[in-house]
Amino acid sequence: MVREQRSTRMRLALSIVLTFAIVAVFVVRLVDIQLVRAEALNAASLDKRSVPMTSYGVRGDIVDANGVVLADSVDRYDITASPRLLLSGSNTTGSEMTVLDKLKLIAEETGQDPNDLMLALTADPESDFAYLAKGVTVDVFRAVRDLDIGGVFFELRPSRTYPLGAVGGNLVGFIGTDGPQAGVEFKENDCLASTNGTSTYERGADGVRIPGSTVTTTEVKNGGTIRLTIDSDLQWFAQQQLAQKAQALGADWATAIVVRVSDGHLMAVADYPSVDPNNVNGVPTTALGSLAFSTPFEPGSTFKAMTVASLLDAGVISPSTQVVAPGRYVFPNGDYIKDAWAHDDLRLTTAGILMNSSNTGISVISERLDAESRRNYLLKFGLNERTAVGFAGESGGSVPETRNWDQITNFAVQFGQGVTATAAQVASIYQTLGNDGVRQPLTLVEGCQWPDGTVTSLPPTEGVRAVSERAATQTVEMLETVTTQGGLRSILSMPGYRVAAKTGTAEVAENGRYTSDRIVSVAGLAPAEDPQYAVVVTFGKPDTIKTSAAAAPTFATIMTQVLKTFRVTPSTEAAPAIPVTW
Amino acid sequence: MSASLAHAPRPAAAHENRHPHIEIVTSREQRRARPRYVYALVGVAGLFAIFLAQLLLSIGVSDGAYAIAKLQAQEKELARTGQALTEQLDTLGSPQNLAMNAESLGMVSNATPVYLRLSDGAVLGAAAAARGSAGAMGGASLVPNDLLEGVPLVTAAAGEPEPLGVASTEATDGSVASTTGSPAPTTPPGMLPAPVTR
Repeated sequence: MVREQRSTRMRLALSIVLTFAIVAVFVVRLVDIQLVRAEALNAASLDKRSVPMTSYGVRGDIVDANGVVLADSVDRYDITASPRLLLSGSNTTGSEMTVLDKLKLIAEETGQDPNDLMLALTADPESDFAYLAKGVTVDVFRAVRDLDIGGVFFELRPSRTYPLGAVGGNLVGFIGTDGPQAGVEFKENDCLASTNGTSTYERGADGVRIPGSTVTTTEVKNGGTIRLTIDSDLQWFAQQQLAQKAQALGADWATAIVVRVSDGHLMAVADYPSVDPNNVNGVPTTALGSLAFSTPFEPGSTFKAMTVASLLDAGVISPSTQVVAPGRYVFPNGDYIKDAWAHDDLRLTTAGILMNSSNTGISVISERLDAESRRNYLLKFGLNERTAVGFAGESGGSVPETRNWDQITNFAVQFGQGVTATAAQVASIYQTLGNDGVRQPLTLVEGCQWPDGTVTSLPPTEGVRAVSERAATQTVEMLETVTTQGGLRSILSMPGYRVAAKTGTAEVAENGRYTSDRIVSVAGLAPAEDPQYAVVVTFGKPDTIKTSAAAAPTFATIMTQVLKTFRVTPSTEAAPAIPVTW
Repeated sequence: MSASLAHAPRPAAAHENRHPHIEIVTSREQRRARPRYVYALVGVAGLFAIFLAQLLLSIGVSDGAYAIAKLQAQEKELARTGQALTEQLDTLGSPQNLAMNAESLGMVSNATPVYLRLSDGAVLGAAAAARGSAGAMGGASLVPNDLLEGVPLVTAAAGEPEPLGVASTEATDGSVASTTGSPAPTTPPGMLPAPVTR
């Protein structure tokens, strides 16, 4: 009886212990799976069902002032293949086709040589990855996809195209394999750049996404749109005209700039040669940027307008000041300044000095103001510093300190020798003269518009007064004599409009000596009675004609187009008669 | 507990045969408290209904998933088509292409515009006829565009530049060989078709 009871207890205890032991094993296993190895197991299980996905953010467009697309983000496709799969002959379509047959079909669509494709495949036959074609268009991608060849795959490759080609290519810049390389693409990358999004979703056995399973780890962010101040049609016109003339003249380079006088917005900045961003290798590397911003040169006589405005502002001359311009302005040590043409003493007014572009005349009136004050005026016109555009690779030119001016330089800077400026700075000078003496910051980018509608990167609008309104107006009036009475009046005058212009023929210094090379330019404003647009046309080192007569026709053509494009009302009154001699 | 169970049956077994048959009759309350079949049926049916609804719902959801996948694929394809067409349009709309085509159609630009001021009817500007050589291109586009390579001019189909592009395609459709020198039959040379105005 007692033994029976004991054995019952023993069995009871044993079963309890066993039960607890089994529960303990389960608990340990549970903790191990659910807590200790939870993450690894979760990840492993997710890998079996989940698909990682990259959603590509779209890089922002670059558009002109009217919204015409200059730089556009497009989808291109890389065609890849698994050499192992292809060469082993396992495929979905007819197995009797040889590998070369399939490659021929692909090559037909992509325009490649099937043998090249074969080489790409056989380079590493055991590999699972080889490029067949890179960056093909949607049409080619679809055609190859529809061939339905096993072992051939496709990858999205977001790319950039420039629908207008070289129109504004110098400004827009381009994107290399390492990202943006030049121009606005480079400078405004913070606005344009996009962020790719990453997310995962789970899919069923047949590849269909399981609803509600998408997990986004990085939000996709599209870039903003950069709006330029450029008018693409005018830009094209300027580039076309510039290239025609530059080729006829045999010029090494050329630039043409159109500025809206009232706010300093650049309507066109044409360079020759200029890059087609779709084919960057088509031009020498020196032409990849914008010469108008990057290349300082001694501008020559176009500076005389600024000199006259400065002296008028200082009150040392007036438009009718009577000057004797000698044939040679001789210094005590025998050095001299002379004019482009030989002449005896000329009795010129200030207007006459500008019209005849007399270096000796400018020297005579420059005597009336000290060097430091004259240099300060040059700085007020924006010289010796980069323009507000801040273009990639921009130069600010140089105006040496007055203590480094020798007796010739002392006057030569007043007619644009011994100082350097970029074409953009020269344009800025004429903008200032046309805008009643207030220099507006040159502007190329109107702003960055984000997908949510906000606009950032707004350009500065604060102007700087360089000279008085009176000085600027009088200077423009005097510049009009160049187109009404000057030697190039037949070319520079435009029917229906009053134009103020100044020519420049600058000597090019090389290794410290002036050579026979010239940089010829014409800068001007129209309409003269109320200037609205400034145009500067420059040709570097022309071969056939080495005077400013070379630049005048292009200036007139571009200015005419500007007035037409922006519907500028023709002038109603004739130009005032300003005496140029006495 | 099992020990007490072991003790209990013994006296009961001893007196079993002597006692008369006694049965406990359930009281009315007890009978009322007992669950009815109806309730069980309702419960089970409800459960099945829930299962069925869930099944149908998940069928609906996965049907939706297929519809979504299909529409997304369609959207992707349409976006691709749209983008390719926009790209083509932008390229064809480039100034180089337009100017070349305009010139090949015999158009020239007039450098001296004249304006009519509506307020007083005044004519502003100096009128001058456009010169034949006033075309901006001068025969060749000097502003390269790699994307335009292989894009034919609108007049290319006509064999040679005709003054009127609209007529030229009609003219050359049937008689490619005989068009040399002969003007398009529908419109006399040098005349533009009258625009439709209202």
